[in-house]
Amino acid sequence: MDSELLEQVVNNLKEINSKLDRLIVQIECRDETTSDKDKIAAYSLDVLTLLSLPDHLRTTATTLFEIGPATADEVANVTNKERAVESNYLNQLVRMNNVKKYREGRKVYFRINDSLKKK
Amino acid sequence: MTLTLAIHSSKGGTGKTSIAVNLAVAFASAGKDTCLIDMDLRGPSLCSMFKPKTHFWINDFLSGKCNLKDTLTDSKKDIGTSGHLYLSFSNPDIGEIRDLVSKDRNWQAGALKALMNGKRELAEENIDVTILDTSPGVEYESINAVAASDMVIIVHNDTKACHDCTEQLIKGVYTLLDKRCAIIDNMYHGNCLDIKEKNRYGVPVLTTIPCMCDIATRSKNEILVHSDPEHLFSKSIMTIKDKIEAMQ
Repeated sequence: MDSELLEQVVNNLKEINSKLDRLIVQIECRDETTSDKDKIAAYSLDVLTLLSLPDHLRTTATTLFEIGPATADEVANVTNKERAVESNYLNQLVRMNNVKKYREGRKVYFRINDSLKKK
Repeated sequence: MTLTLAIHSSKGGTGKTSIAVNLAVAFASAGKDTCLIDMDLRGPSLCSMFKPKTHFWINDFLSGKCNLKDTLTDSKKDIGTSGHLYLSFSNPDIGEIRDLVSKDRNWQAGALKALMNGKRELAEENIDVTILDTSPGVEYESINAVAASDMVIIVHNDTKACHDCTEQLIKGVYTLLDKRCAIIDNMYHGNCLDIKEKNRYGVPVLTTIPCMCDIATRSKNEILVHSDPEHLFSKSIMTIKDKIEAMQ
């Protein structure tokens, strides 16, 4: 009985995962088809903005510049901080529109935001 | 592993380009594969000294129009260095410079990303040393170059304005970007033998180069470190090179 329940939970989780992947693809396609006219506000991380960030976020952002797109784990390996701490900093940078978050399979990646978005 | 140096100063006319060119030739003459990039996009100088052999400028690379290696001219044979000496030129066309001044922060953000990618590109090509010659002060292009570098070489003049601004740059830019720094005192008017200073603002002073008219006059037609290795200026450049290598 327990193993059946467990199997059902695993199947449900797999379904949720594949739905999330499909949603991400749809959102990315929508962004790509946005016409130039609609791309009115730009969020990207330039060096003077980088300098004005608080120390902890600047270290995280600089690391992402150095190593390119990376997971929170990979950033934490460079900065010698806990993965959870880096994940928190990276998500703060995502909320500030300086960093973009995306999924590849089951991994969550972060990269410096250089894309144009709708206001 | 490629070592990337940004040659920067707080004020103009401190001798950054002379030091950048001679340092690049010094590294290449010692057998290091070297790349010298003119990041002074507002006041290009490299094209006044050498002739580019490609159609692409560093401006094109920063705008995402080509790869960094498409902008490189190998001057190994022309100068006679044992290592490769790749040069990347900034476009001297006044229309291009006017266009650059009006670039917004998004372009600058893209330019920084391009520079970081270029750094990886050069590492894959096994370049030993990359030297970024920058424009003075806090300009987007020069701070982008500082951000992309492993070490900042500050070319310093003995004036109060230069002292004040250098201290600000160290505290407000280089340290925030977690960069190692070193100072070169250039065009020094005092007696170099009296100098005891090894550190300033917590940064090592690599050498002091006295003010000599023939450096300015001869540099128009020759690269002193190559044509006259026994010249005091050339010896100072070799000292800088050796100290930078010892710091790695």
